[in-house]
Amino acid sequence: MSESKTNLFGSFGRRRRLQRQIGAERDRLYRIAWSWCHDSYQADDLVQETLARALAKVDNLREESRLQVWLTQILANLHRDHYRRTQPETGQDTDLLPSRDDPEEHADRTQLITRTRRAIGLLNDDQRQVLTLVDLAEFSYADTAMILNVPVGTVMSRLSRARRRMREILQQQGIGHADVVPLRRPQ
Amino acid sequence: MKPSDEFELNAFVDGELSADQQAEWLEAMRADPELARQACELGQLKAQIRLAYGSPPQVRRRNADKVRESWRAVAASVTLLAVGLVSGWLLHAGNPGEKTANAGRFVVLDADGRGQAPAVAADEETRIVFHLTNADQTVAGELLDEVEGMLNAYAADGHPLRVEVVSHSEGLDLLRESLSGHKERIHQLAMRFSNLTFVACKNTIDRLKVERGIEVKLIPDAEVIDSGVSHVVKRQREGWSYIRV
Repeated sequence: MSESKTNLFGSFGRRRRLQRQIGAERDRLYRIAWSWCHDSYQADDLVQETLARALAKVDNLREESRLQVWLTQILANLHRDHYRRTQPETGQDTDLLPSRDDPEEHADRTQLITRTRRAIGLLNDDQRQVLTLVDLAEFSYADTAMILNVPVGTVMSRLSRARRRMREILQQQGIGHADVVPLRRPQ
Repeated sequence: MKPSDEFELNAFVDGELSADQQAEWLEAMRADPELARQACELGQLKAQIRLAYGSPPQVRRRNADKVRESWRAVAASVTLLAVGLVSGWLLHAGNPGEKTANAGRFVVLDADGRGQAPAVAADEETRIVFHLTNADQTVAGELLDEVEGMLNAYAADGHPLRVEVVSHSEGLDLLRESLSGHKERIHQLAMRFSNLTFVACKNTIDRLKVERGIEVKLIPDAEVIDSGVSHVVKRQREGWSYIRV
């Protein structure tokens, strides 16, 4: 045991450094995951699983500068394999409303957030992922294509359709539109 | 607007165009206010999306945390109990007159007092339960190293040994099909050593299902028992040594 431990700790300085960096990506991954599923429990699970997988496979990462792309790729694969097919496409999701402790003077901002989240919830999975990877996570088209394992042209066409659809939905929702969001998972 | 133009306008807003292409689009926008308005709208949409997802709601885990804390308290008292038992046996082991009575319980010092190979009466089986509550796969890997080394050492010396790894709470990850970083290794160990068992806590599995909607799929080498905590307490009563990981 002591010998294997020495080897483990001696030869994995890189591994330790990457493990710390991976841990530091949690919030960022959670924001992306949440924007995909609009469910804090599911997003948390996705991120936990992503981090666990990344830590287990950290030696597979060749270029350290590609850490964020690599992690997001794991997240996207997990989302595709475990969650997408099991979740009905409702378009209306659990915790779309921003937290209730927002001060009242921020009502406009809160409404804007709610409307944007709801509009994104109405996109299909493919459009939602491309849009949030480009706009929220600020990945390049090439990185987004790699994360989703699709050609760059597909990223561009999905993005274009997603934004057109977003504009339509947001235009349909006038100011003062009732913010009634059904809860799928009452607590 | 042609689809290719629309793609390119998006690419302009996303900073994906070359400097020359950008200059062309800027020129076109100066000539066409409608184009400029569309670009502006796309830029606003980007900002709006960043705002909408900047601080998403976090998981409300108060109940889960309470449960976890109570598990922790139970485990801590179990650990104390184990420490008490072990110290007791070690003290007793120092007395030759009582050695026979304690044979087969828990003695970590060898005959020379050096402490590497556990000393037990040749006909007595050593039984150790490892209680894994940590999700860190590196820790789990080190545990497997430890277990494997121990199984090899005992097999080489011809001493009977039984080892159980009870995974419970966050430690369950080791035995989850989708999360375990050591599936293949566990399988190989389980094939090689019939005296090694991997046990998963059903309470934890049920809890994940009820609280978080997760259908846990275990690796094929895992056995399931009702409660991890009750199981390790039972094992201690039966005289197994307890090591919490």
